[in-house]
Amino acid sequence: MPCNGFFYAWGEALRSLNRNKWMTIASIGVVVVTLLMLGGFMLVHLNLNHITESVKSQVEIVVYIEDTATLAERNELRERLVAHSALAEVRFVSRDEALRRMKEKLGDLVEGYEGSEENPLPDSFELRTHNPEAVGAVAEELARYPAVAKVDYGKATVEGLFQATRAVQLVALALMIGLAVTAVFLIAHTIRMTVFIRRREIMIMKYVGATNWFIRWPFVLEGLLIGLFGAILPLAGLYYIYRVSLDWVSANLMFLTLVPLPLVMVELSKYLIPLGTGLGILGSAFSMDRFLRV
Amino acid sequence: MIEAEGLYYCYEKNGDYVLNDLNFKIDRGEFVFIIGASGAGKSTLFKLIIREIVPVKGTLKVFGHDLARMPRYRVPYLRRNIGMVFQDFRLLEDRTAFDNIAFAMQVTGASSREIRRRVPYVLELVGLPDKANAKVCDLSGGEQQRIGLARAIINRPAMIIADEPTGNLDPENSYEIMNILRSFNIRGTTVLVATHNHEMVKLLKKRVILLDKGRLAADEAKGVSAGAL
Repeated sequence: MPCNGFFYAWGEALRSLNRNKWMTIASIGVVVVTLLMLGGFMLVHLNLNHITESVKSQVEIVVYIEDTATLAERNELRERLVAHSALAEVRFVSRDEALRRMKEKLGDLVEGYEGSEENPLPDSFELRTHNPEAVGAVAEELARYPAVAKVDYGKATVEGLFQATRAVQLVALALMIGLAVTAVFLIAHTIRMTVFIRRREIMIMKYVGATNWFIRWPFVLEGLLIGLFGAILPLAGLYYIYRVSLDWVSANLMFLTLVPLPLVMVELSKYLIPLGTGLGILGSAFSMDRFLRV
Repeated sequence: MIEAEGLYYCYEKNGDYVLNDLNFKIDRGEFVFIIGASGAGKSTLFKLIIREIVPVKGTLKVFGHDLARMPRYRVPYLRRNIGMVFQDFRLLEDRTAFDNIAFAMQVTGASSREIRRRVPYVLELVGLPDKANAKVCDLSGGEQQRIGLARAIINRPAMIIADEPTGNLDPENSYEIMNILRSFNIRGTTVLVATHNHEMVKLLKKRVILLDKGRLAADEAKGVSAGAL
């Protein structure tokens, strides 16, 4: 594009946005509403993921050691666990440590055992797997090892949790795809309308000898600007909403950790800005082709 | 400048020919009226000349180029050499006279300095030197058509084609518009005018091509056919 054409295209795009103020506002509005919904859903999705990931990473297998096991048997068991490829972390918890932890949790209720020789708790290993979803299979395998009294991993809770998160993720994905497709149609339709309103102008341009790209550029830039504004506004809105939500959650639901604000904004911008501008550009470039055939 | 040989056109496949075996030649610097009843094929002929459509049979050469063989990307450059004037003016009504004329120059990549210099000159040629900043919707029909003429001439085209340029104007304005077209012609521009305005054809005594149901019914040098209508 020659220099004159470049300035002409930008100037024309800005003038046209201003000239068709109501259509511009409507187009930006459509982009804002759809991207706001999409962004809101992404927020929920991101946080659900974050929560399930953090729950997943806390899933542990506890292997209780037989009281009668010898030192050699205990050492052998430890070596086998450390060498196990599915395990990420192996930690020995002595019966004394287990009792101390229990006291911290339950306080006075374990008062009676204080200093007692009759600690009812066994020695154990706390294990973490590389893949949290593999805990069931790994636990079953470990139960067959010698010197193992019992393996515990909260079977029902863990499996229920994984099934639920998988279902939530699938629904979230389906809804986001549906919303993105709706956004594409809405934006393309709105831009087609702005092009339709200006078909006369396009026809005159063709008659006075404008090339197709000369006509297209201002529309493409216009689409880009509509998409950009349409993405920035919901980002600003979501920033505010998320900040308020974070404050509320940290005050009322302390056990819940949400994705930090900067990370969320980076993640949202990464999708919403290219999506908004891309939709704007594609929408305007393609919806006007019909009017260029003069 | 324009050469038609065995030119045929129909809008629908296997439909009736709107133009039927047209043969004529128009030289540089000529002033030609194309006349004929509605549906005679005048507008279709103009669409062919600006290559909005291509002939189904025969050849049409404009500026020496066979239009049927002209690649699409060359069409804008052909049109920059042809100024067009329409019955309904086809101006951007929400913009000023200056903007409407400048528009045709911007398309060719002209600098704003060139545009600022040339537009007032052309406005003067069409007799509206003080209307540069007037909005088109505030101008009278005659004034709007003069802006249309200014836009057509702004890029110094070799040819102007005007489709019923006086169709929406009163006799006085019609005469003014024809006079401006004639002045362009005197400066060397080839002018083709499709019209129903027989008075004007008789008055100007220019070459007349009479179309009848797509056929060339007459081609007279001095406006004689106008009387035959």
